[in-house]
Amino acid sequence: MMQTTRIKRFSILDRIFHLFLILTFLTQAATGFSRLFFPTTWGKSLNMVLGGYDTSMLIHKWVGVLMIYGFIFHTLYLLTRIDWKNFWTSLFGPDSLIPNFTDAKQLWQRILWFFGIGSPPKMGRWAYWEKFDYWAVYWGMPLLAITGVALMYPIFASRFVPGWALNIAVLLHRAEAILAISYIFIVHFYVGHLRPTSFPMNEAMFAGSMSLEEMEEEKPAWLDRLKKEGKLETAQVKPPSPLYKIVYFIFGYAALGFGVYLLINGIAYSRYITLH
Amino acid sequence: MRNSIYIPIVWIIPLTLLTTVLFPALSLGQGEVTSVINRYKQHEVSTGYYEQYEMKPRHESPLVRKFRGADRQPFTYSTTAAAVRNRSRLADSHSGIKFYDNRRCEECHVNETHDIHTARANLTCRQCHGPEPIASIRHYFSPMNPIRRHAYVCAKCHEGASASFATYVIHEPAAGAISTRTGFPALYYSYWFMLVLLAGTLAFFIPHSLLMGLRELFRKKKDN
Repeated sequence: MMQTTRIKRFSILDRIFHLFLILTFLTQAATGFSRLFFPTTWGKSLNMVLGGYDTSMLIHKWVGVLMIYGFIFHTLYLLTRIDWKNFWTSLFGPDSLIPNFTDAKQLWQRILWFFGIGSPPKMGRWAYWEKFDYWAVYWGMPLLAITGVALMYPIFASRFVPGWALNIAVLLHRAEAILAISYIFIVHFYVGHLRPTSFPMNEAMFAGSMSLEEMEEEKPAWLDRLKKEGKLETAQVKPPSPLYKIVYFIFGYAALGFGVYLLINGIAYSRYITLH
Repeated sequence: MRNSIYIPIVWIIPLTLLTTVLFPALSLGQGEVTSVINRYKQHEVSTGYYEQYEMKPRHESPLVRKFRGADRQPFTYSTTAAAVRNRSRLADSHSGIKFYDNRRCEECHVNETHDIHTARANLTCRQCHGPEPIASIRHYFSPMNPIRRHAYVCAKCHEGASASFATYVIHEPAAGAISTRTGFPALYYSYWFMLVLLAGTLAFFIPHSLLMGLRELFRKKKDN
């Protein structure tokens, strides 16, 4: 019975945002790499698959615009999640994604635990690396959006900023994209799906829930809090159907495989490109 | 009475936005007429002349200066080519280089072939720099002169290119090079900031993830 008990972790909207991000991010990574690596043979092949250089760039631009709309919508959604009557608790409470002192403490405890000193920290609803994942995307997107729009409309942008700022925009856009791609395809994929506790896949973002066993291991502080507040019963949800499970396993591994493909080729051909 | 003149703040924002839609867009022409300084600047940057006087090239940004050492690079192919460095304002910038007719631009200008315009847009040198004799960039009548570059060169592909747009540095220096710190500091500091951020993030999180994996593996082995 214990095995089938699942606790709700993400709402349907959270999962839609994540799915939207997977699809748009992979599209941007592929089309962006097709431009970045264009002088190489691999870059040329990637361009051919994506319909040629111009088509690839067109996809990159308009999916970028779609991401900007997604970001604005997500920000408006965040505002609805704030409990304005208990503003500070809402921002710095245990359900908030905003980093706090406990995260720093848990990071330190975890580093000590890596080397066999002490016991692992009892994680709450959001671990510090999950908060980092979230905010890395959240601050990266405006940077990519502002520089991307400036490069999309360079003549218009040069009415407000000097033309040489476009040199900086190219550099920032590329460097931030490379940072995001490296982080997601190395760290996020590994921590999310490949490390021993998560392997073969951390299903929470697809199923919307996690098993009680997994919760005891990964999020003991959150489990204790739910028990203490008497919310454990209401937080229980049905497990995902086997068919849905098959779908998200195939989709998840296809996305992971595609990301790793881009990463390996990106590393292999990195000596032919520059950051600016 | 007080209630009738009271406009809630929530109405102010849509009304302001509506006003921006209804009013005609500001044009540069209006700016030229209404401001003497602006008219002077606009006229100067677009023609190089003001009334009957020839103007000097427009002031460049203090953040993008002439790159230190750009004029002092060694000319490995020809000793006579060294003269070129003193000819940055002449009508034929390559005059005096031996066997010039049999040479290709990239034999000497290697770094200039690696930027976005040449590597991705596949432009050739002559599409921007023009036919022989290639005038120095700072020669007064050169199309490349900053006073008219936007109109004579950039606008060939980038329709509507302005003088501001033409300050884009086509042949970028190596962003991380020490000479760039004095020549293009904004690029230099942006580069190092992003590189440190990239390297720092990965340098912390890759070992962190690997150690997490290893420790969990040991814990699972112990539990089993």
